[in-house]
Amino acid sequence: MLHAWFIALAHSPLGQFMQTSRWGFAVVEMVHLLGLAVLGGSVLIVDLRLLGVVLKRESALTIGRDLGRLLMGSLGVMVLSGIALLSEEAGKCYYSPAFRLKMVFLAATVLFYFTVHRRALQVAELGPPTLFTRAAAIVSLLLWLGVGVAGRAIGLL
Amino acid sequence: MPILQHLCQLLYDSSFGTMLRESNNAFSVIESIHVLSITLVFGTIAILDLRMLGLILRPIAVTRVARSVFPLTWTGFAISFITGFLLFWAESAKMYPNSAFRTKLILLALVGLNPLIFHTTVYRRVHKWEALHLAPWRARAAAIASITLWSGVIIAGRAIAYF
Repeated sequence: MLHAWFIALAHSPLGQFMQTSRWGFAVVEMVHLLGLAVLGGSVLIVDLRLLGVVLKRESALTIGRDLGRLLMGSLGVMVLSGIALLSEEAGKCYYSPAFRLKMVFLAATVLFYFTVHRRALQVAELGPPTLFTRAAAIVSLLLWLGVGVAGRAIGLL
Repeated sequence: MPILQHLCQLLYDSSFGTMLRESNNAFSVIESIHVLSITLVFGTIAILDLRMLGLILRPIAVTRVARSVFPLTWTGFAISFITGFLLFWAESAKMYPNSAFRTKLILLALVGLNPLIFHTTVYRRVHKWEALHLAPWRARAAAIASITLWSGVIIAGRAIAYF
């Protein structure tokens, strides 16, 4: 079922374009990297706020909301450009352990972001960092890093 | 042979350069750290730039944001400089004629010039405007230049592999 979707993506006009175009893949890769840079920055600042390292006296909710928008925007760019990159070799990615691991990390990270992480920002708003906010920040950083490292491995394995 | 090309060839032929180039994992590990540290540079400085443009973190003074991101930006810059030099060392003879690499170096020079101008002009009076939601136009111009140039550095850097 899922495999059929991957094959359909590879055969779609998008996939055909990405496979034949000389610069298509390169340009989309650049967009993916720019998205990564913005996403990485916002994740880091929010989590350092939860750890009590930066912007300690500023509202955690304001930081979480403003940088959260930036994070979601760049994540959107990354998902869209990621689908285009995937369409170039979807059949191969389906069997790639690195790609599968990346998707698992991504799902876990997004789930964590909208549940535990959001709660941690509310707790951080009320006072100094607690064990809970610190742990949430560390887990968040590790999860996002996991997505990135697994993603990097797709091209190497 | 021009002197710079000669130097590139010397680095390329050195035993350390050859070892890096022919290693199985060292090159890709350094490359990954390079990408991660550039993320740190661009991702953190972009937050300050977007703050000056009045797009995010408006209730927080520009100087507070600046003080929080600068150590991260500089750390990222130091790591990307060192890893970038190692990558260059391994591939220097191929980098010398690479037009994407040359473009990246020019953009890096410009991206260094930008904060130099910014810090010696409008940022010297930052205490007059740090709390404004929208920074003065010269600070906004610097912010747009910073985002544009750093994007260019990333794009040119990625393009190196395609030339």
